[in-house]
Amino acid sequence: MSDKQMIEEEERAIYTGDHCLSCTSCMSNCPVMAAAKEYRGPKLVAPAHGRMHFSEDDTELSLDFCSNCKSCDRACPSGVAVSTLNMLQRAEYYRHHPHSQRDDMLAHGERMAKRLNAIPLGTTFANFGMSIGKSLGIFDSMGIAGKRDMPKYASSTFAQEFKKIQQPKSDKKVVFYPGCSINYNEPHIGVAFVKVMNKNGYEVILDEKFNCCGSPLVVTGYLDEAHEHAENNVSRILYWKQQGIPVLACCTSCSLMLRQEYEELFGEQAMKDAGENVYDAFEFLEMLDAEGKFNTNINAVKARFLYHVPCHLKTQGIGTPAVSIFRRIPGAKVELADVGCCGMSGNYGFKKDKYDISMKIGEKLFSRIKAAAADGIICDCPTCRMQIRHGTQTDPVHPIEVLAKAYK
Amino acid sequence: MIRSEVVVIGGGFAGLTAALAAAKRGQTVTLLTYGEGTLPLNSGVIDVLGYDENHNFVENPIAAIEKLPETHPYKKIGVKALQEAVEFFCGVARKNHIPYHGSLDHQMMVPTAIGTLKPTCLTPHSLSGSEVFPGKKKIVVVGIKGLKDFYGDIMMENLKKALGEGREYQLVEVDTGLTGGRDITTQDVARWLDTDAGTASFTKQLKAYGGETDVLFIVPQVLGTKGHACYQTISSRLGTDVLETTCLPPSVNGMRLQHVLVDSLREMGVDIVENTKVIGSEKDGKTVKAVIAKTASNERKYYAKKFILATGGFYSGGITMRDFEQPKEPIFDLPVSFVKGEENWTNKELFGNAPQGFAKTGILTDEALHPVDESGTVVLENVHVVGRDLGGYDFCFEHSGNGVALASAYKAAMM
Repeated sequence: MSDKQMIEEEERAIYTGDHCLSCTSCMSNCPVMAAAKEYRGPKLVAPAHGRMHFSEDDTELSLDFCSNCKSCDRACPSGVAVSTLNMLQRAEYYRHHPHSQRDDMLAHGERMAKRLNAIPLGTTFANFGMSIGKSLGIFDSMGIAGKRDMPKYASSTFAQEFKKIQQPKSDKKVVFYPGCSINYNEPHIGVAFVKVMNKNGYEVILDEKFNCCGSPLVVTGYLDEAHEHAENNVSRILYWKQQGIPVLACCTSCSLMLRQEYEELFGEQAMKDAGENVYDAFEFLEMLDAEGKFNTNINAVKARFLYHVPCHLKTQGIGTPAVSIFRRIPGAKVELADVGCCGMSGNYGFKKDKYDISMKIGEKLFSRIKAAAADGIICDCPTCRMQIRHGTQTDPVHPIEVLAKAYK
Repeated sequence: MIRSEVVVIGGGFAGLTAALAAAKRGQTVTLLTYGEGTLPLNSGVIDVLGYDENHNFVENPIAAIEKLPETHPYKKIGVKALQEAVEFFCGVARKNHIPYHGSLDHQMMVPTAIGTLKPTCLTPHSLSGSEVFPGKKKIVVVGIKGLKDFYGDIMMENLKKALGEGREYQLVEVDTGLTGGRDITTQDVARWLDTDAGTASFTKQLKAYGGETDVLFIVPQVLGTKGHACYQTISSRLGTDVLETTCLPPSVNGMRLQHVLVDSLREMGVDIVENTKVIGSEKDGKTVKAVIAKTASNERKYYAKKFILATGGFYSGGITMRDFEQPKEPIFDLPVSFVKGEENWTNKELFGNAPQGFAKTGILTDEALHPVDESGTVVLENVHVVGRDLGGYDFCFEHSGNGVALASAYKAAMM
C-alpha cells in the first residue's frame, strides 16, 4: 500500500465527512429513509457516525439499510461522498463479522458465471435449476427474495458473440467494457453497442483481461476483493490510455465504479488517472455529435419512449446524453420518468429482508410507467431494468439497442 | 462540448427560476447544478423586504425599495422587474397547483417554528398567517408525536405574545404511528398525509378540538409533499383554517416549490445536468465562450451565448475566501465587493440591529445585472449575476432572500 501514490488528503473522499454542515439535504433525498423508518439516514450514519467509527470500534447497525444508490451524494451541497463513507464503514464491519452465504452469492456473480460457462451446457442447466430453485423456495431459504427471478444466463457470452462479428477495420478505436451483466446475461446489448460504434467509424476492442468492476463486492462489504478487481481493471485502463484509446461502458454502475468509486474508496492516484479514460457510451456519442462527427444516417423511429435515468448515471455529472442522441433519431420522443430511484440498487433488492423496501421505493416508478403508456421504456442499468420488469410487466431495453436498430 | 443559448449555473431558487424564465422565452437552456440547492432548506415563502438598514420594520416593501442605498441589488433590478417577476412566479405556481398570493405593498406575517411572526410577501394558502388570524378565538397548536425540531410549548408561549392573550390557546399532539424507528421529520409526516389513511387519521384526531370557524389550527410544515390539495382537504374536513409554520430543514414547502420549478423545467425540455461542479470558464475578452464543469472523472465544456451565475454566493461556495479580504468568484474570476476591515466583518449581536458585514460580500452589477468592477465598468458582457451572488445586502437581516433571487433571476433571463 505504502508505495502507491495516493491522492492528496484534502481531496480524498474518506475525509469529506468533515465538510458536512448537517443541512439534511441528503436525508430529504434518501429513498430508503422514505420507505423505512429503521434507517437513521445518510447524515447520521455516514458523515456523523462515520467519522467516529474510523477511530473507534463501534458499529451503527442501520448502516445495513443503505443501498448505495448515491442520491445523498448528489443532494449534498458540500461535496461529501456520503454513500462511499457508508460503504467504507460496511467494509470495516465485515472485517470483524462473518458474511452470510447469501451475501457471498450476491457478491460473486462473476465467479459463478465463469464456473458455469466452463461446463458444457452449464448455463442451460443453471437457468433450469434457478427456475426450480425459485419454485421450491430454495433462494428464499437462503435469504434471497423468493419473489424475484434470478437473471438468466445467455446461451453464449458476449465475448463469444463478439468473435463472430466482422467489424470494418478502422484507425479509430474504442475499448468496450461489457461488465458481467452484458457479458453473461444480455450479450445482445454489447452486440448493439458494437454496431453503433462501427456505424460511427470506430472499431471496438474487447479486452478479456478486465474482470467484474467490483460494484456487487463493494455494496456487500467485500472491499479487499473489490480492491483486487480495481487494481486489475485500473492497470488495463491505463494500458489503453497510454495508447490513446478510451474505454466505454454501457452499464452505468460499472462506469461509475471505474471512473469514480475506485478513486473514492481507495484514494490512489492511478485510479484517478484511469478514471479520466472511461466514458459512458452515450456520453462518448454526444461528444462525437458536438464535433459534428456523429453519424445521423438513422431511420425514423416513430415512438414515445419513457426513460428511467439510473441513479448511477445521474451521479456521473454528465446529464442525460442518451436524450441528446435520441433527438437525432427522427420521430423519436423521450420523456423522463423523473421519479427517483427504482429501489433495486444492484443486489439490494435481491435481499429478502430488503425486498419490501425495494418494492416500496419502486412504487412511484411503477405507477409512472403504467400511467405513461409509452411505446417503449428505456434504461441504461441492468438491475433497474430487472426491477421495472418485475414491478410493471413491461420489457425495458437499453437505449443503445434502440439506436442500433435505427441505424440503416 | 454542449451548446445551448443559455447556461444557468446553480439549482437553488434563483437558478431554477432563471432557467424557467429563459426557457419560457423559447430559448434552449442547460441548467448545471451541484447539490440540491437551497429550497429543501428554506421555507419557500417569498420575503421581499422585511426590515430596512436600521432594522426598522418595513410596512410597504415596494415603497421601501426606493429608499435603499444605491448599492443594494434591488436598486439595479428595479421595481418594474420585481413586479413582473412576481406575476411570472405566481402564474407558474398557480398552474402547478400551489397558488401563491400576497402583495408587494404590505407584509404577510407568518408564524415561525418557535411561534414568533416574520414578515414575508408571497405565500401559499397554507402559510398565509396574518390573513387567517382575525376573528380567531382559539388557537390550537398541533404537535406531532416524535417529530424532531418542533417545540409546541415554546411556540404557544411566543404565539401568546404575538397574537395576544385575549384568545384561548391549546397544545395538542397527533400520533402518526410513524414512531418507533428513527426520529421522524416533517417530510415523513407530509408523506403520511399524502395518503388517504393519513389525512383521515389526522383530521379524526383533531376534529374534537375544532368544529367552529373561529378556531385556528397551527401545524408544522406537514400538509402533503406536493401542491396544496392536502391543505385544502384537511382545512375543509376540519371546517376551519389550518396554518403551517416555517420550520427547520427539511422544509416541506420549499420542496413543494422545488417540485413546481423542476417539473416545469422538464416540461419545457430544459436539460438539467446534476452533480456537476462548474470550476472555470473560457473567455475571449469581455465575452464568455464556455464554462468548464466536472464530470465523475473528466471536465466538460458548456458553450452558450449567455450565462447566468446563480451559485449562491458566500453561503454556497459561489464565492470563496481562503485568505482574509481575498474573496474569489471561482468560475469567471469576477471582482467581488466586500466590507473592508476586520472590525466591520461581523456583528457579534447575531440577532442585533445591524447587518453582518460579511453577508454583504458579493458581486456588484449594472442594471442589466452584468458584473462590474470597482469603477462600475462591465467586466463580462454575456454574464448576468443573480441571487446571493449579488453583493451589497444581508438577506438574512433584511428578510429579502427569495425576493432578490426571484427578481434578479427573472430580469437576467429577460435581458
